[in-house]
Amino acid sequence: MDNPNWLLQFFGRLHPLVVHFPIALLVIAFFFEMLSLKGKRNGLREGINLMVYIGAGFAMFSALFGWLLKTQENYTGDLVDNHQYTGIATAVLALATAFALKKSKTKNPQSIKLYRVLLGVTVVILTIAGHLGANLTHGEDYLTSVFPGKGSNYSNEKSGVLLSELSGYETLSEPQQNKLNIEVRGLFAHKCYQCHSEAKQKGDLVLETKEGIFKGGKSGMAVVPGKSHESEIYNRIILPAGHDKVMPTKGKLLNSDEIELVKLWIDQGAYWSDQAVKIFPEADLALTKPELPLNSIENHPIDKLLDLYFKENNLKWQKAANDRVFVRRAYLDVIGLLPEPGVVEAFIKDTNSNKKEVLIDNLLNDTTNYTQNWISFWNDLLRNDYSGTGYITKGREQITNWLYKSLESNKTYDQMVVELVNPTKESEGFIKGIEWRGVINSSQSTEMQAAQNIGQSLMGVNVKCASCHNSFVSNLTLEQAYGFASIFAKEPLELNRCDIPTGKIAKVNFLYPELGAIESDHLSERLLQLSEVMINKKNGRLYRTITNRFWERLMGRGIIEPVDEMDNTPWNAELLDWLSTDFVDSGTDLKHLIKRIMTSRAYQSSTVNYKTEEDLKKDYVFNGPLIRRLSAEQFSDAISQVIAPVFKAVEYNPTEEKIPALRIWHQEKDLTNTVLPLPGKRYFRKTFNLSNKTIEKGLALISVDDSYVLYINNNKVGVGNDWTQVGKYDVTAFLVNGVNTIAIEGVNTGKEDNPASLLFSMQIYLKGNEVVQINSDKTWKSTAVKPTDNWMKSSFNDNNWQIAHDYGFNNWSKLLDFRFNGNQDEKLVRASLVKQNPFLKALGRPDREIVVSKREERATLLQSLELTNGTFFNNVLNKGGLQWLKKYGNNNEAILEALYQKLLGRNPSVNEKEILLAALGKQPNVEQIQDVFWAVLISPEFQFIN
Amino acid sequence: MKNNAINNTSRRDFIKKMTAASIAASATTIPIASFLSSCSSSVQKMAASADSVILLWMAGGMAHTETFDPKAYAPFVKGLETKKVLSTFPKLPTVVDGLEFSEGLQNIGKVMDKGAIIKSYKAADLGHILHTRHQFHWHTCYEPPQSVQAPHIGAWIAKELGPINPVIPPFISIGQRFTMGEAEELKAFHSAGFLGNEYGPFLIPDPSEGLDSVRPPQGMSLKRFEARHKLFKELANKSEVMEQASDYQRESLMRSMEQSYRLLNSPEAKVFDLAQEPKEIYDTYNTGRFGLGCLLAKRLAMNGARFISVSTEYEPFLGWDTHANGHTRAKGMKALIDKPVAQLIKDLDETGHLDRTLIILASEFSRDAIMEGRPGVEVRDQAKNQPDAIENIRHYGMHRHFTDGGSILMWGGGIEKGLVYGKTADERPCVSIEKPVVIDQVHQSIYHALGILPDTHYTIEGRPFYTTPDGNGEPILDLFGKPMTASKEKLS
Repeated sequence: MDNPNWLLQFFGRLHPLVVHFPIALLVIAFFFEMLSLKGKRNGLREGINLMVYIGAGFAMFSALFGWLLKTQENYTGDLVDNHQYTGIATAVLALATAFALKKSKTKNPQSIKLYRVLLGVTVVILTIAGHLGANLTHGEDYLTSVFPGKGSNYSNEKSGVLLSELSGYETLSEPQQNKLNIEVRGLFAHKCYQCHSEAKQKGDLVLETKEGIFKGGKSGMAVVPGKSHESEIYNRIILPAGHDKVMPTKGKLLNSDEIELVKLWIDQGAYWSDQAVKIFPEADLALTKPELPLNSIENHPIDKLLDLYFKENNLKWQKAANDRVFVRRAYLDVIGLLPEPGVVEAFIKDTNSNKKEVLIDNLLNDTTNYTQNWISFWNDLLRNDYSGTGYITKGREQITNWLYKSLESNKTYDQMVVELVNPTKESEGFIKGIEWRGVINSSQSTEMQAAQNIGQSLMGVNVKCASCHNSFVSNLTLEQAYGFASIFAKEPLELNRCDIPTGKIAKVNFLYPELGAIESDHLSERLLQLSEVMINKKNGRLYRTITNRFWERLMGRGIIEPVDEMDNTPWNAELLDWLSTDFVDSGTDLKHLIKRIMTSRAYQSSTVNYKTEEDLKKDYVFNGPLIRRLSAEQFSDAISQVIAPVFKAVEYNPTEEKIPALRIWHQEKDLTNTVLPLPGKRYFRKTFNLSNKTIEKGLALISVDDSYVLYINNNKVGVGNDWTQVGKYDVTAFLVNGVNTIAIEGVNTGKEDNPASLLFSMQIYLKGNEVVQINSDKTWKSTAVKPTDNWMKSSFNDNNWQIAHDYGFNNWSKLLDFRFNGNQDEKLVRASLVKQNPFLKALGRPDREIVVSKREERATLLQSLELTNGTFFNNVLNKGGLQWLKKYGNNNEAILEALYQKLLGRNPSVNEKEILLAALGKQPNVEQIQDVFWAVLISPEFQFIN
Repeated sequence: MKNNAINNTSRRDFIKKMTAASIAASATTIPIASFLSSCSSSVQKMAASADSVILLWMAGGMAHTETFDPKAYAPFVKGLETKKVLSTFPKLPTVVDGLEFSEGLQNIGKVMDKGAIIKSYKAADLGHILHTRHQFHWHTCYEPPQSVQAPHIGAWIAKELGPINPVIPPFISIGQRFTMGEAEELKAFHSAGFLGNEYGPFLIPDPSEGLDSVRPPQGMSLKRFEARHKLFKELANKSEVMEQASDYQRESLMRSMEQSYRLLNSPEAKVFDLAQEPKEIYDTYNTGRFGLGCLLAKRLAMNGARFISVSTEYEPFLGWDTHANGHTRAKGMKALIDKPVAQLIKDLDETGHLDRTLIILASEFSRDAIMEGRPGVEVRDQAKNQPDAIENIRHYGMHRHFTDGGSILMWGGGIEKGLVYGKTADERPCVSIEKPVVIDQVHQSIYHALGILPDTHYTIEGRPFYTTPDGNGEPILDLFGKPMTASKEKLS
């Protein structure tokens, strides 16, 4: 339908044309006016007057047309609004100027002054309006994008160099043709792919592939080999800026060298090279161990390299951190705990010159605590957790036990990598990924997740982008990503571009084929081959990636950042490669790597204050370690150490087997639908055999929502009606050799359907250290029909009973003491082994739904709220307050000294003491002690590792 | 999370600094600050017709034929043919001509002259109908799983617009607990994802305990609370490490502590206190936790909250997740929502807040008595042998997941009043037959009302991540009745 307001729209569109009149006229009028100041150049007067009048008139029309343009074509936004306001202001001011000019003809000196001031103001506002208008039409970076250092970092000097190199030849050799083609394609990548890639085919033109280039687009043949003047590409790039057919439409035009290079390539026959274009910088795969500087005054290899680096950058070494600071830093970094006050004092007194190295060794040898600290790093990196999506549907598996044991035994990194990519049953969770039920995006298949996670975690390369389309941020292609994912696939994978099948079947391939071929029809063989390729010593990337991660952990910032993008430029390539090679030479010993870094002068220096986060990003220059924040786990472990235990029980206990009992109930069906359990009595049975060995002991645990009666072999063992109270029974007397039967009568109370469950576990100790464990699971049977009286006996036939059902409810997950040996010695419950919870989450422990290689360090409001009024934290402090009050009574000095020594490794200063003593009062109560705890725990000195 | 990999392309920092009042003022004058910032930013803000959003979440799949889009009523008799069951309640008229609601929603029916109904929501086809997966999709606009963590719509809004009232968190989630079934799957989308925890939800599982989350810890007097804070500040200021910590680290730590102190110590905390309400108002809302959630949402919206969600709470087989006894359960659910939702609209309208508050009532998908999924789309059927006749009232109701024809209600924030958008078939399958709506459009309509540009995005791990996938989905302008430029006049 025709726009009824076409005339208004037409006038609106005249706005960009008309605006130039008032701009030119008023600005020149102002300029002439300045020239005619103090009565000079009177000849200009008449002209100026005309210019002001005409300029004012056009200003009015411009504003009017501009308003029409805005309303007719629905322009919105602040920029438009501001342009509108300043434009209208210009028109009004211009009219006022004209009016003042007219009045000034009466020779009133006041009004000529007014006129001149008004003219000046008009020109200023006009300039602003014009600038805003120009931003609207040309884009806000129109001017600034040509500044040096702005815009694309693509260097166009290469074109000129290559051009002069090749221009002397009549015909080109094959290597020259190769070079020329790769260069031209690199040029296209930077200048054209934005619109003409496989993902975004503007004008139906694809410049990414051979087929695409020679097929051309809507406007015809893009390239006619040998004939640049018939090639659409060439004809478009030579057009002047502003021409409506010029290419590229976005960004800078090609310079003359670049244009000549394209021309040369076409005229030389538009040769197509088989090599892939490496548009983005890519790190060398292999490591090169640099020679250490000779004659360095430094002893440690890291320091020799850094000494040179500092000299080159005109920097000085930071002074060494004092012993107190060092001990605390080393403890937290290796074992994640605070040093005992005695340790700190002894260390300070120790006069041994290698006492630091001794301390580091001792800490690294504290296997349990080392493992329980570093496991958090690995859990983040390998996306492993004790809870998370996928677990209840069996779409995900933990690798906790494997990981814990690997760290505990200081398994070599090579061995860990082998077991991750070619897994055992215990470590298969990593490449299995997270499987969501239902149809998912093809870039999220579990095979692709394996490729993405190995890429990110182990190789420092982003496969995520390329799993949907050719990457825009690296050289990886869709084919490469699918080739990689195919290694893990049971069936050949079809390439999907942006979730649309392409009909192409992927060819199995690792990202870096130069490391070795992966070709087999059998999954298990491919995984074996991959595990060998990964730890091929030519794969320097693997070692560089982990070395850089450890450096980042210990120093606060990586040698390469972000730590997942290992093609970025390191601030010191020699240092990174030296450390990585040293790590390889050690037999990929992770503790060796930690020790290597920690024994350096660099690690042992005082921390450096970088003013802003920006200083850590671009143009970063290393000058020493950063201050880091305590991790969520370190923070809560420190409180458990000093104040009161934060957590009651671990989720993963390396020394105790987890009880694999399920919460089951009778499967309630309504027709064919599974429904919520109905109220009423349900009957459960489990029959099992015991050998003829002597039964030494039998223990049973039971929790039922809402109530139960437990029978074993027709003996009533016990009853209960509170699921939070775990029933613990010694059932030795009820057990027999041969067939045994557990029978449970469970009741779901209430009037309506509501959740119900039964949790049961039994351990039976037989002579000869044999343990039999019976758990509630899907081998149990259940019925809703009241059975005959003998149902508790083994002789009863339950063939027509149903299989018990796991409803997947976990709303009983509040910590139950469902353990056989509950009252063990109270060990420190490390936060790294507990399930994710709101307190740890607020402090920055991530949900491990994706790989997390760097935690958020920034303090947030949600976090400070948790610390300020969180019930959980408050209760821990309260418990601690009571314990301390009991221990120290009103000995305020002792309280403060102990608190400072334990938390901060020093005594309170005179100032601090004064403040804190006042806060405690003469006879401190729990609340006062608790508040002192709080103030010290929240203090930056405690929360930072300096 | 790699904070440094996020290239900020928004003007949040600027906007954040401005209070609602100064934003309003900026519409009529030309503040120099906004002039300067428009030079350095590539993103412009559109005119907004709403400042805040309340999402009333019907968790578990609310059947449209039993609620806001009733069909022919088939009263229960023993032996009733299953295929005849489209609605198990009679229809009743609403205040809008021609719009009828299922029995039990008369109160909401009375406020439909203040809002609009979309009758044609089509949920995604995810192959296997799962509540948490569809809820993830509804709240983030992305189908799980994703290779980066997708932010909740509330987090996007918090990030782009910041708080209205600096002491009220910009994203508040009321009513959902995370100790129930599928808790992990629920947590996966109650998250700010890659935007960072700063924009994550402030959780109030039980609205009657809302105050506890914003006042000094239980048992701590205000005096003690203030003294404790003073003690912390004195110690921190004397600490040596403060000299060494990089400025940004120190700054963020001290600022966040100061912020929470201000929040917990501010008069605004009373906003979270339901006891401040007159008894008769409290009683009107009090149909249970959801009703009280609506009451809390009202108080928060009137005092400068940005995004609030109130959920009937998802737990497998509970709430709207009716797998048996559907008729009776639907009756109960309607009783739970009817009065408080209607009262919320009325209260906000009477106080003038409805104009700038967008309220949305929605569910992850609808339900049907027979069909799982929707016609033409293959899903895993969870009930193959539906009986031909219904003998027991327990089998009378909508027990299948149905992914078409869902109803979405909207009020306020520029929403056209009395609008009925889209249409569903009157015979089974009751699918959308006019103007089908998908989630991208719903999100873009909400962003449109708030003045957040459709192509808002951040670069994360080298990938541009938009509010809706690839920035797709057009706002449904019909919902707003007229072009958005007009809405600006309301501000001045």
